[in-house]
Amino acid sequence: MSTVAVERATRTNVLSKVWTFVKHHILTVYSILFFVYLLLPIAVVVVFSFNNPPGKFNYTWNEFTWDNWLHWDAVPGIRSSIVLSLQIALIASIVATALGTLIALALVRYGFRGRATTNILIFLPLSTPEIVLGASLLTLFLNISFIRVQFGFWTILIAHIMFCISFAVVTVKARLVGFDRHLEEAAMDLGANEWTTFQKVTLPLIAPAILAALLLCFAISIDDFVVTYFNSGSEVTFPLFVWGAARIGAPPQVNVIGTAIFLIAVTLMLINVLVQMRREKRGLA
Amino acid sequence: MSLFHRHRGLTPYLLLAPGVLFLTVFFLVPLGFLAYQSLESGNIDFGYTFTWAWSNYSDALHNYRAQFIRSITYAGIATLLALVISYPVAYWIAFRGGRWKNLLLLFIVAPFFVTYLIRTLAWETILSDNGFVVNTLQTLHVLGPSGRLLATSTAVVTGITYNFLPFMALPLYVSLEQIDGRMIEAAEDLYASKLQAFLRVTFPLSLPGVVAGTLLTFIPAAGDFINAQLLGSPDNHMIGNVIQSKFLELTDYPAAAAMSFILMAGILIAVFLYARLVGTEQLTGTAG
Amino acid sequence: MTQELTRRQLLERAAMGGAAITFPGILAACGSSGSKASGGTTSVEQKLAKTLNFSNWTLYIDTKGSAHPSLDAFQKKTGVHVNYVEDINDNASFFGKIQGPLSRGQSIDRDIIVLTDNDRYLSLMIKKGWAEKLDKSAIPNFKNLVDVQKHPNFDPDREYSLPWQSGMSGIAYNDTLTDPVLSVDDLLENPKLKGKITVLNSMGDAMTIVMLANGDDPTNVTDKSWNAAFKRIQTAVNNKQIRQFTGNDYAPILARGDLSAAMSWSGDIAQLGNKNIHWNVPEAGGALWTDNMLIPKGGNIYTASVYMNYVYDPKVQGLMTAGDPKRKIVGIYYIPPVKGAGEAAKQFNPSAANNPLIFPTAKTLSKVKIFDSKALNNQKYLEQWQNLISG
Repeated sequence: MSTVAVERATRTNVLSKVWTFVKHHILTVYSILFFVYLLLPIAVVVVFSFNNPPGKFNYTWNEFTWDNWLHWDAVPGIRSSIVLSLQIALIASIVATALGTLIALALVRYGFRGRATTNILIFLPLSTPEIVLGASLLTLFLNISFIRVQFGFWTILIAHIMFCISFAVVTVKARLVGFDRHLEEAAMDLGANEWTTFQKVTLPLIAPAILAALLLCFAISIDDFVVTYFNSGSEVTFPLFVWGAARIGAPPQVNVIGTAIFLIAVTLMLINVLVQMRREKRGLA
Repeated sequence: MSLFHRHRGLTPYLLLAPGVLFLTVFFLVPLGFLAYQSLESGNIDFGYTFTWAWSNYSDALHNYRAQFIRSITYAGIATLLALVISYPVAYWIAFRGGRWKNLLLLFIVAPFFVTYLIRTLAWETILSDNGFVVNTLQTLHVLGPSGRLLATSTAVVTGITYNFLPFMALPLYVSLEQIDGRMIEAAEDLYASKLQAFLRVTFPLSLPGVVAGTLLTFIPAAGDFINAQLLGSPDNHMIGNVIQSKFLELTDYPAAAAMSFILMAGILIAVFLYARLVGTEQLTGTAG
Repeated sequence: MTQELTRRQLLERAAMGGAAITFPGILAACGSSGSKASGGTTSVEQKLAKTLNFSNWTLYIDTKGSAHPSLDAFQKKTGVHVNYVEDINDNASFFGKIQGPLSRGQSIDRDIIVLTDNDRYLSLMIKKGWAEKLDKSAIPNFKNLVDVQKHPNFDPDREYSLPWQSGMSGIAYNDTLTDPVLSVDDLLENPKLKGKITVLNSMGDAMTIVMLANGDDPTNVTDKSWNAAFKRIQTAVNNKQIRQFTGNDYAPILARGDLSAAMSWSGDIAQLGNKNIHWNVPEAGGALWTDNMLIPKGGNIYTASVYMNYVYDPKVQGLMTAGDPKRKIVGIYYIPPVKGAGEAAKQFNPSAANNPLIFPTAKTLSKVKIFDSKALNNQKYLEQWQNLISG
């Protein structure tokens, strides 16, 4: 090859290397920007959790204080509201994800009568405006004349499971649709029965989808307002509390709690990651 | 050899039973009450009676067509934006996330832990007329000298997009993460550029996620009301706001019910057309 | 008169298909004056319940840390535990929630609820017979009710409701952004304020203020006065003078300077703690709204009435409203409806006692009006208003 050609080839090589480098990092840079955008309001919330508001409204920065963190439950009703919200979110997300995963499996893998109808059934709760969804569920509870329905924890829980199932179904389905059945086939060829295959092959492979569904359902449940409001009786969840408090001025403790939940969740995840890392190290050792 | 079960057996029904039963009791039955209510007429003072009042439907279509269309439009734009914004990040987490994947997913849903009202207030602070963002946009002449971001349709669409990002990002991730990295490598070996490999291999394989995310974003967004209420002016209000006011302030429960069904029908039609577009296998899986 | 009322109530209840039309009930309604109490209705059993279920708006009672001193004192005095729940944050949604059970004749498991009089729901509850009559014999402190609240048009003889706290609606402005905005003319028609003002989405408040500015009487609304005021607001919407219609979410917008002026509630501005933001009753007059206590159907009338009597003691009311900084008790900071509360407050919190937004002068009170409750229930007006604020 002539020297010119070699030079050109080298230059192209370098250029393409640079281009690859840039392209590689663009994605990372973009993603970082994305998270900045996503978490920007959270940053504001965190900052204002340290604010000592000038009046009852926590809208303008006044002065720094640890008080809100030290006395996070100094506002009457705030502690019980967040405890209730967390309980419901945890249970509802687990139940909804479980029910939703089963439905997703059935829809994607089996041909059966009523498949299209079931698909429509899944989309309907998503498309129903919250106010009529909440009000008509309330109507159901009121019309069960043989039981005197006690409004509160159970009615809220039922409502949350109800509207979360659809999200879980659609999320898990996204995974199942592209699932490579050959892996299961291989397992069965090697002698595993259907249940073992499901346990050892299918479930681990759709685990990310199940986790995503859990996270999504948890987030929806802990933030729900309208449907909860209609079916809560006189129980108050965290969003209900915040909306009510905002009329007079949501206290900074609301910011504290939001931040705290986030930090606790992050910490739990980090612990999980560290445990995994240690397991891997031990595996290699 | 068939990869799919064509059972006439009980398995699918057993799998479906708990969830479908739950939804039937706690969603379909209430929906039935709603349907009944949509054909009632009357008022709060003297009560409501069932009169096959189809006029509730025709009045709603006649009087609120603008809001219906606006809702579909806003939801559509928000969905598109969410898709464009989230896709690269979902890709990045799926292929580069490594052991931090789950933590990154947590970050995506984190904003929901501080309740809608608080994070919207935070956004309003950031996008304030006198804030850094607006001032920068004014300097760059994107906004006029007295322009503002809040109380506009931009704010409403942006609010909807932001609040529905997790619903788009998570399904996208779920689908992308499944793709075997070696397939992409192979594609890159075969195709001339990374871009082509992406377009020909990666993106099509992620289509189930795209479809799922689109549905989980568009469908609830169309019925949203709260973003328009807090971030919009009266001429940005959506059909969700109208339904809200019919129900609460005007106590016109039949009208609210009828409008809800019209919205649902509109959404289902949109979903049906969308399914046609992307191919129903993406929607329902290839077993059918 | 009272027999007629009970018979009408009975028929209304029957029309709604409600439950509990008992035989003795029919007798009592139709014929004999057969009641023992002076009110003409079946007498109220004068026995205190163990618990009082009290639903109220959030942060609308005195607090000390996470406790409510007035409720604790009530329990000490009477032995009744108050199950205090703050689940009301909006009249419309609360009514939307309780109308389900009430329209089916079911109790909502509450003894006292609080609804505002500048919204239709308070008068609606009374009209539909979903409120119990107070046991006035248990409320001797009724005489302490301020005169202006004695005969509201939704409850002329105060048989069903008693005020909890009041507030005023007027105009607030930011003096760093604008010259004083003291009138509706300024607010709605000054081009310098274009896009920098908000109007309350509450029909009762907004229309009262604009009607007064037009020289009309909001306590007695006619189609003519309605149309004039409506048109004025609509023009301001069309030429983008009005940025948004708000509930109390004008407060953060005002605080960060995105608004020059806002139609707003007196209590909020006092609480913003911002020296540059001033609230005034508009020149032509402002609106007075009052949150009222109500006993929903099925509530324990006697216990609820005893509680109401307790809060109508001027000393109790004074402490509840103004708080006491020495004992770290934070007050409600709205306008109390009880005569003598201002005097009592002086010993607890002198600075609050002198705050004209909490204890307004008679002159200020004469300038604020209560909206006509007939108009609040006029479906035509309501639809017009909703279409205006909802595009």
